[in-house]
Amino acid sequence: MSPTEAAAYAAPAERAGPGRRMVNLVIEYNFIAIFLIVVAIAASLSPNFLTFTNIANLFQQASVVGIVAIGMTFVILTGNIDLSVGSLVALMGMIVAVLLHSGYPPIVAVLVTLAAGTALGAVMGATTALARVPSFIITLAGLVSFRGLTYLMTDGVPVSGLAPGFAALSSTMVPVLPGFSVASMGIIFVGLCVLAGLVLRFTAFGEYVYATGGNPEAARLSGLPTRFIVTAVFAISGLSAALGGILLTSRLRIGQPTAAQGLELDAIAAVVLGGTSLFGGRGSILGTFFAVMLLQVLRNIFNLLGLGSFYQMTVTGVVIVAAILLNTMIDRRRGRA
Amino acid sequence: MAEPVLRLEAVQKHFPPNIVAVEHATLDVRSGEVHCLLGANGAGKSTLLKIIAGALAPSAGTLFLEGRPFAPRSPAEAARSGISMIYQELDLVPQMTVEENLLLGHAPTRFGFVRRAERRSRALDALERVGAGFSPTQRVETLSVANQQLTAIARSLTMEAKVIIMDEPSAALNETELERVFKIIRELTAQGVAIVYVSHRMGELREIGNRVTVLRGGRTIGTFAMADTSDEALVEAVIGRQRSLIERKERGAVSGGVALEVKRMTGDQGLDIGGLTVRWGEIVGLTGLNGSGRTSFLRRLFGSEPFVGEVLLDGRPHRPRHPGDAIDAGFGLVPENRKTEGLILDAPIYKNAMLPALRKSLLVSHSGQKIEAEPALKKLSTKYGWLEQPVVNLSGGNQQKVVLARWMINGARVLLLDEPSRGLDIGAKADLYALVERLAEEGAAVIIASSELDELYAACDTIWALHEGRNIARYNPSATDRETILKATILGESNVTH
Repeated sequence: MSPTEAAAYAAPAERAGPGRRMVNLVIEYNFIAIFLIVVAIAASLSPNFLTFTNIANLFQQASVVGIVAIGMTFVILTGNIDLSVGSLVALMGMIVAVLLHSGYPPIVAVLVTLAAGTALGAVMGATTALARVPSFIITLAGLVSFRGLTYLMTDGVPVSGLAPGFAALSSTMVPVLPGFSVASMGIIFVGLCVLAGLVLRFTAFGEYVYATGGNPEAARLSGLPTRFIVTAVFAISGLSAALGGILLTSRLRIGQPTAAQGLELDAIAAVVLGGTSLFGGRGSILGTFFAVMLLQVLRNIFNLLGLGSFYQMTVTGVVIVAAILLNTMIDRRRGRA
Repeated sequence: MAEPVLRLEAVQKHFPPNIVAVEHATLDVRSGEVHCLLGANGAGKSTLLKIIAGALAPSAGTLFLEGRPFAPRSPAEAARSGISMIYQELDLVPQMTVEENLLLGHAPTRFGFVRRAERRSRALDALERVGAGFSPTQRVETLSVANQQLTAIARSLTMEAKVIIMDEPSAALNETELERVFKIIRELTAQGVAIVYVSHRMGELREIGNRVTVLRGGRTIGTFAMADTSDEALVEAVIGRQRSLIERKERGAVSGGVALEVKRMTGDQGLDIGGLTVRWGEIVGLTGLNGSGRTSFLRRLFGSEPFVGEVLLDGRPHRPRHPGDAIDAGFGLVPENRKTEGLILDAPIYKNAMLPALRKSLLVSHSGQKIEAEPALKKLSTKYGWLEQPVVNLSGGNQQKVVLARWMINGARVLLLDEPSRGLDIGAKADLYALVERLAEEGAAVIIASSELDELYAACDTIWALHEGRNIARYNPSATDRETILKATILGESNVTH
């Protein structure tokens, strides 16, 4: 996992001895502690939980939402929101399927799809930034229209019969440890987390993103290109949705126009659960990563216990609220809120 | 002596983990008086006001309202008991009408329906008491700041306020508007209402105040009758040691060449500036009423908004399309409102100081940023705990220095300061102006826009009076008295032609 860009914008409550600093670190990264607690509970409930196969499954299943959540983290850090990603994942998944079906080589199909996703994201971002329309509205329109486009492409019929080589993109098993292999889509997800974390922490662009979210007017009067930044984060979100769509189609081996319904809410929930402020300016990829995995572990443990998804949905909501309340409480105790 | 209407005894407030905002505050406010509250930034004024208004609960100590212990659990409860707070950023709902605002939360109703006729008559009543000349059906956002202030005062009257707390009401008002507010205050006190008045401006306190309580470091230093206490004694109480008020210090003649020449600049809302020059090493002040175009002029020089006309920097055309252009040309802007326009409050000090410098890099090194930020902050003698501290924890004066440090790091040669001393205490103001003077001596061209003529008078080599978007008169403060300049800003009398 990448070094922690959270630390860049969050100061410890006070200068103090190593013990005190340790406590502060735990409070700062409480989402990791929560994650570990949930993992411990899961492991004690089911002997099948901490097996290599199950862990590999966790990464594979988390990867589509996870990749979309990375893009969403950039958007939310600037104080915006992207509701269109679920529909965009479906649309991009269909585009790549249709291109492959028409006989284009996989590499061309993938690159065209990535470019299309980036462009659609950039257009939404530019509309938000230049016309000063709230991104909520623009991307809500995107959510509806992109889904419509997805159905229009094939009249709602799934596209099958894709080149077998394309499935390898998501499902090649990559050995990580002896006896432990993770599907390539899981590796891609983790790799992108590291990359995004590095971008946010060590590039000027990353600082721009935090600054624009923290105070857009101050950033603008400091000469930062705030409108470009807003456009760029939506382009990143579009790019990550395109990648999510490609991997989803690759894993399902068909282009499914009804796929990824409500995915945007899972992604937003993960980002917020990971400690990123909806008002912008505060948060990290590290948090998003752990939150995505936490939500996946919850889903997984209910499956292992043989309980239906109704239980899982209910408990997930409760966990999200509990985690957010905890963070609000910590903020207040520090006099930040 | 009658029982004071509001009394605070040994009030204390601390915030976890270890911030003591108010250590030991006592206060007694009599009905019918204007009781001023004076203190440096960080003295605990705001916290104390919030405690009185019910927005915060004291950690220890007791409040008495008309002799009875009083512990409001919310601002609404305090308001019902007759304590009304008028915040600096007025807490009105801009999209609603005046009458809706006046009775918001306590509108007369029957079965949940608003009784509109009664609301109208009560609104008219309250507006008449404050001498307002606007209609109760106007939307608040269409009113001038002064009229919004009157609306806020009228709002406290609809709640039968016994004590009205006014937090720096003058910050956004010009002198004529302030006169009107003062007139209303005098009428209210004649009716027995007590006013708690907070301001940094000594002249104002002298004009309106009966008594003054001085706070320093969270403790009440004392309560004085305004009439028999000298300015020096008050300032000493505020800052704890003898320190002269800002006084004009004659500087040598400016020898640098012309840095900035505004031949003609026109823009929205009648902005029309012409024939204004600033030399290297010169401090030029812009004075004028609110709406005279000071801010809009500076923002256009900085490329934040477009303008038509001809501006030369070092003899070459200056046409910034966005702030980035102006920054590259060596401009730096300290904006009017440091909290909403200047700083990212939650971000660390060094990040805030390094914001414009980011533009020159692709990758960032956090230790490198700290190494670069530290000397600039030190040079401006900024007081802070450590560099990673969120800038929101600093006092107003030190926050302003972080904004200034930003431009030092960036090597700015033309500094535009918009109301740089707003909300700063007397010590911090003197500090700031000393700093600006030093930067000018090092060759920077400085333009300061301020509504505080005294400060400009003390610090500037040249003062321009702005009136309704035009620069109407140019003065040399060593050869002109304040009243002449003041008159020009109000009456719009010109001494130049262009």
